[in-house]
Amino acid sequence: MASAFDESVRRRDAGAKTSGAATYGTDLAVAGMLHAKVLRSPHAHAAIVAIDASAAAAVPGVRAVLTAAELPSGILPHYGYIVKDQPIVAIETVRFAGDIVAAVAAEDEAAAAEALERIRVVYRPLPAVTTIDAALADGAPELFPQAPPGVVPRYGAGARGALRPRSNVSYEFAYRTGDPAAFERCDHVFEDEFRFSRMQHFHLEPYVGIASATREQIEVWTSTQNPFPLRRELARMFRLPETRVRVNVPLVGGSFGAKSNCKTEPVAIVLSLMTGRPVRWCMTFEESFFTNSQHAALLRLRTGVMGDGRLVARRSEIFLDAGAYSGASPLVAEKCGYRIPGPYRYDFIDTVCSCVMTNTTPAGAFRGFGGAQATWASESQIDMIARRLGITPYAMRAQNLLRLGDPFVPGETAIDSDLHAGLDLVIRELGAVERAPGRGVGFAIGLKDGGGINKAAQARVKISTAGEVTIDCATVEAGQGARSSLCQIAAEVLNAPVDRVTISPIDTDHSPYDHGTNASSATVVMGRAVLAAAERVRDDVLRFTATALGCHPGELRLEDWHAVRGRERHSIAELVLREFGAIGFQFTADGFQKAPLDARAPLDSPCVFWEIGWAAVVVGVDRGTGKVTIEQLVVSGDAGKAINPLVCRGQDEGAAMMGVAQALFEQMVFSDGRLMNGDPLVYRVPLAEDVPASFVSILQEQGRGPGPFGAKGFAEGGILPIAAAVANAVEDAVGVRITELPISPQRVHRALSLQQPKTVGVTA
Amino acid sequence: MAVSDPIGRQLDGEDAPPLRFVLNGIERAETVPARMSLWELLHDEFGLCGTKLSCSRGVCGSCSVLIDGVPQASCSTFAFSVDGRRVDTIEGLAAAGHPLCEAFAARSAFQCGYCTSGMIVLAKALLDRDPHPARQTVVEWLSSNVCRCTGYAMIVEAVLAAAEAVTDG
Repeated sequence: MASAFDESVRRRDAGAKTSGAATYGTDLAVAGMLHAKVLRSPHAHAAIVAIDASAAAAVPGVRAVLTAAELPSGILPHYGYIVKDQPIVAIETVRFAGDIVAAVAAEDEAAAAEALERIRVVYRPLPAVTTIDAALADGAPELFPQAPPGVVPRYGAGARGALRPRSNVSYEFAYRTGDPAAFERCDHVFEDEFRFSRMQHFHLEPYVGIASATREQIEVWTSTQNPFPLRRELARMFRLPETRVRVNVPLVGGSFGAKSNCKTEPVAIVLSLMTGRPVRWCMTFEESFFTNSQHAALLRLRTGVMGDGRLVARRSEIFLDAGAYSGASPLVAEKCGYRIPGPYRYDFIDTVCSCVMTNTTPAGAFRGFGGAQATWASESQIDMIARRLGITPYAMRAQNLLRLGDPFVPGETAIDSDLHAGLDLVIRELGAVERAPGRGVGFAIGLKDGGGINKAAQARVKISTAGEVTIDCATVEAGQGARSSLCQIAAEVLNAPVDRVTISPIDTDHSPYDHGTNASSATVVMGRAVLAAAERVRDDVLRFTATALGCHPGELRLEDWHAVRGRERHSIAELVLREFGAIGFQFTADGFQKAPLDARAPLDSPCVFWEIGWAAVVVGVDRGTGKVTIEQLVVSGDAGKAINPLVCRGQDEGAAMMGVAQALFEQMVFSDGRLMNGDPLVYRVPLAEDVPASFVSILQEQGRGPGPFGAKGFAEGGILPIAAAVANAVEDAVGVRITELPISPQRVHRALSLQQPKTVGVTA
Repeated sequence: MAVSDPIGRQLDGEDAPPLRFVLNGIERAETVPARMSLWELLHDEFGLCGTKLSCSRGVCGSCSVLIDGVPQASCSTFAFSVDGRRVDTIEGLAAAGHPLCEAFAARSAFQCGYCTSGMIVLAKALLDRDPHPARQTVVEWLSSNVCRCTGYAMIVEAVLAAAEAVTDG
């Protein structure tokens, strides 16, 4: 039988997704359900003076109108991962243009929409802070005059967190290691500032959920990445035991981090409590832009080096634009700050990353999770320093790269990919680049800790009488192919055809417990739980078979639901029927995975693996217009062992194209707190024609991952290095350094127009 | 208020004339409210859930269907407007075993799957017009739809492979 990891093995959802048979949260209906719509604030910051919803309630078909005054007594109406500051509907204050002021449940969406138009809200506009700089300015208006509740997570050596360390900062992460005197030994210290743009996830399936709730229990069907954490948050808010909250998750139509924690659920739950009916809330596409985004960032790096280019010390001060509510921002700050060293050795690291509250769309988890911001600044500055010292960017990296087996920082997991080999691979793939005016080469390496912190996962593997295998686990399929990879892992262990393995729907009442589908963790963390369960059930089957055949289990091996012993081949189905009678039986075993706690690790437990993205680009810069064209793009990631090579390729290329978009054009544009392009017609995402003329992704399988069969996670590395690689190539091409994204024609043209004529330098 | 279509027929109420059209090769008759979109008709009335609603603005192409062979955004098309026309959806293409479905499945030219029906329907229209499209033609044609997951290269390759299969078949 062919390996379960062969390139010819199809994703388990291939048939359904290419025939129109796949159904998503948007396709679900519950008998008797109502439809919700919400009224959103037109102001970036305002006090709510009065709301009159009486005319809305009178619209035919309307069953409930929710404002802060109708929130049920006794609930905790705020949510968030670490800082719980986001209300179900605005309470007294709106904090961004798009904040939810009221919600309506009606027999259909049209009636709900009509009712919204009849809600009268009197606002008293407040001064707004809509950028990082404005929020941090002396005397800036505060989004939260009273500090919202929150709990700092436990950290290990060198790391600390602080709630509200200063006005308009909801959380600050800091990490320090090594000898502070290191800066004094440096030949040069360079200070540079970088700005990172903000993209929207643009998942094609909108935010959608259905809730059916009473004061005793809640059931939701929702598009989320993290069913069990959502269950816990809803149970806390609505003061119910976790076991009285049931979260069902269908196929998710794209997420990229967006569909984490509460989104549609709290509003739908309260409306269901008010009406006694199930309530569906499907946001419009435009509402995604009011719900979540990536973090814009200001990053200041101070890096000390020796004259030969050896990196010695780095200090970073990073400000993330968290938007109006904290959401996942503290966790992103933690990772952005922590990842600022990049893949290099230093004697001293001192990094601080803050969540700055602004009157804009709340920011949250987004593919890369702080790593894209850190890599943009770090990999840009590495090139800048190299050029200032007169050494090549390649030589600069080569002498400072962490080697296989080096710890990232003390107490942390050792580097598990050959970083240098990957860099050589992508550069070599570019081939001979013909030098021409306006053409330049750049490269970059992104690195992030993968697999999540202290993540726990459980799985169950079941085998029916006839040998059909079912996996129960709560890994969410949002397109990344994880559930299919888990089937392949079980098939390999059980030596069964992959198409005999299915994975059951997610429902927190029945699915084994899991911390969530994020941090590129599924194949490694859940994969190990599935591997353990599959090995256990395999051993159970072999023991049963050996007893039935009167031999030792060690003499047997499984093959396509037969027990093979030398030249004998016994049908296990027949042995089961003989033992259990005509009804048959089902073998079942559980598996569990969790990284150990370790106080020496800065983030409480060592990371599971290192996710790396390598990129090399050739750009052409039009001096007349400033337009940058990516003529060649080579990206690579290390899957350790590719469970599904085509799925890996798709992850790497999809992530890389998000990086291309961020590098060149895609961004949310705000003006005085108003989102100017929050509409699919004007918000530009990459299309097929935006793919570089030469685009190559190289799948590495270096074989050192901690996951099943040597696998590593693979979903995020591709986005990390692209923007910096492009900026580095632009400097190589025309001698200007762009430190703010996107690298738009206007920005490049402006830089070129300010350029001194002599500085067109080309470094190989 | 009575609502009529562009040629003056009443569209609301019991007097509305039935809409007749050919859906995936089968003649259908249905009475539809004036403001019902073609997507609503397909999804809610006929239970054809393969056509995905995303941006609702006729921009992303997820809800693409073929109307007389032309790819159209069903979210932005009135149901009544397909009277007398032929509508083909992903379900019809799949039932007919179109090589595009097989090529997308075999080559993993999808991830979350939300754009996939629209991409396949869009590509079908291309192959009907140009059975041997150049790669650049495929790239330009597919650029009317959005895929946020794949980075497009694998979709382009699947369409080219399907073109080969159509030729070979």
